[in-house]
Amino acid sequence: MEEQACPRCKTTKYRNPSLKLMVNVCGHTLCESCVDLLFLKGSGACPECQIPLRRTNFRVQMFEDAMVEKEVDIRKRILRDFNKKEEDFDTLREYNDYIEDIETIIYNLANNIDVMETNRKIEQYKKDNREQIMKNKSKLGRKEYELEELLELERQQDEERKQELIRQELENKKKKIREKEALIDELMFSEGNAKNIVETFASAIQASREEEKYTPVTKATQFSTGIKFGKQTNQGFLPIPKAEEGPSYSYTPIRQQIEGPSPPGWRELQTRGYVSHVRAETQSDRAGGFRANIACLRALQEAMASLYHNPSQRSLEPMSI
Amino acid sequence: MFPLSSQKKYWMFSDENDLTALREKTNAEFIEKHGADMTPEQREEYFLSDAEERTLLRFYELQLRDFCRRFTPPMPRATVATALHYFKRFYLRNSVMDYHPKEILVTCVYLACKVEEFNVSISQFVANIKGDREKASDIILNNELLLMQQLNYNLTVHNPFRPVEGLMIDIKTRYTSLENPEKLRPHIDEFLERVFLTDSVLLYPPSQVALAATLHAASRAAANLDNYVTDTLFSRDHLAGIIEAVRKIRSMAKGVEPPSREVVRALEKKLDKCRNQENNPDSEIYKQRMQEMLDEEDLRDNEKYAKIIQDQAAHDEKILGVSKVLSPATSYTQGISIFVT
Repeated sequence: MEEQACPRCKTTKYRNPSLKLMVNVCGHTLCESCVDLLFLKGSGACPECQIPLRRTNFRVQMFEDAMVEKEVDIRKRILRDFNKKEEDFDTLREYNDYIEDIETIIYNLANNIDVMETNRKIEQYKKDNREQIMKNKSKLGRKEYELEELLELERQQDEERKQELIRQELENKKKKIREKEALIDELMFSEGNAKNIVETFASAIQASREEEKYTPVTKATQFSTGIKFGKQTNQGFLPIPKAEEGPSYSYTPIRQQIEGPSPPGWRELQTRGYVSHVRAETQSDRAGGFRANIACLRALQEAMASLYHNPSQRSLEPMSI
Repeated sequence: MFPLSSQKKYWMFSDENDLTALREKTNAEFIEKHGADMTPEQREEYFLSDAEERTLLRFYELQLRDFCRRFTPPMPRATVATALHYFKRFYLRNSVMDYHPKEILVTCVYLACKVEEFNVSISQFVANIKGDREKASDIILNNELLLMQQLNYNLTVHNPFRPVEGLMIDIKTRYTSLENPEKLRPHIDEFLERVFLTDSVLLYPPSQVALAATLHAASRAAANLDNYVTDTLFSRDHLAGIIEAVRKIRSMAKGVEPPSREVVRALEKKLDKCRNQENNPDSEIYKQRMQEMLDEEDLRDNEKYAKIIQDQAAHDEKILGVSKVLSPATSYTQGISIFVT
């Protein structure tokens, strides 16, 4: 096996057993101390291929072959966007073509074939499928959430089991003490043979122990509301009908038509002293939400509105009554 | 805002010829309808021409203004302006001979009081009218809906008063070389008063009217606002159009003069003869028609009631299978006969 070595400082695993090789998106390795040295500022160029890199993107190399590292990296990045599922396609054939496309892209990027062309393709895909990508991402999020729920459930069960054990131990201890006390009482006050008494007690304890040997803990598999934990959730319910989502609402600020010189804005009313020429609002005016600058602005707007109106330029729309 | 208002959309006309054409058309339509069997000479003799209608309207506009001035409680000028606006709008598409101006006049004022939030009740309102108050309130309330319909329910009127305030604020702020801008006010008010007796409110936006009033006042008060207009308010490329508009508004306001009493009296006499009697509350036809309408309503109610009874009977028949509620015995035998057949 070839010795692992940092390409820059030539340190090998043999000479420095704690050598840690790091890899970035370009797939070239560097040892940890070189990374520290070169990327002091947080970013810099790869010493081998001069691609600008960020320090935060360095990871510890997991595979021996740096190319595999690079490929994994690229794959992760590509699959974040190319996240369609089989159910997003009409036919299996289309889905297979899609997967093939992805593989081609990854291969091209990993081996530096037509990088420009491929990147353009990715951009195009992202642009075309933005909504779909977002949707699938959130779907992914849901899956993670379910997983988390499962984990939570497991943790809860663990906790319960632990509690149960503690409780049982305590009870056992108490029981033993009680039995001992009973035995001593019996020995102290009864008229019978002491040996017989001890024997009967011993057998009684034996029996009770066997009896309680194992009562399995009933696991909590549902919330107090009766809804089961985890994935079974959708068993009891009909799937939510898929609603066709229209384009989402986007706010466009109101633009007032003025047809005249533009009146001052709210800020200019104060700074340029327009407000000082109207009656100041009284206290009771202000209680009603009235401010002097409202009246001032309105007057100014109306004074400017349609000043450029030119009657000869417009044709009269006929009005029917 | 005015640029998006119904006033701009429906009630602004490009020039005076448009208005004249519209009035001529209204006049001609009325004559056509009511004078079908007359020769042109007879028509001219009998009906008012559109110019004569104009003269009468000018007279009644003055009447409207005077009525509002005498009004108690005192009426804000925006209300007066709005009422005059309605009056002008109404007679663009309606003939004086169809609806008598003195009736429409009070209705306009009444409606304007409501729209401009000058709150008077109808009894308070008719207290300002001489003569039969009951009849007056009837006329007003009858005509109110008609008026609103003829205004196409475009009731908001943009008056030049607020733009004047805006201009004053702007002058005080940006054109400090003018001393005491408040001295312009009496002239502005006087000018606006006259503007409302002209057609300029149907031709020019309120801001231009306000500007014309301010400039007029400045020339009266020997103040110079030229630099304000040319340098502060506008860029040069818009100047020409506005100067033209201001000039027109001022010349129109200058030309206002009340028609002489004799002419008006003669025209009123003529109008009394040729007016549409169907809309004259004193005429027999009008009363008859009103009575008919009332009767018709009663008749309609009766018909409705009869129809309901009939429907119910049919419904019963369908459900029970019998045309009438018969005595138990007969229905029993009937049941058997059905059974047998």
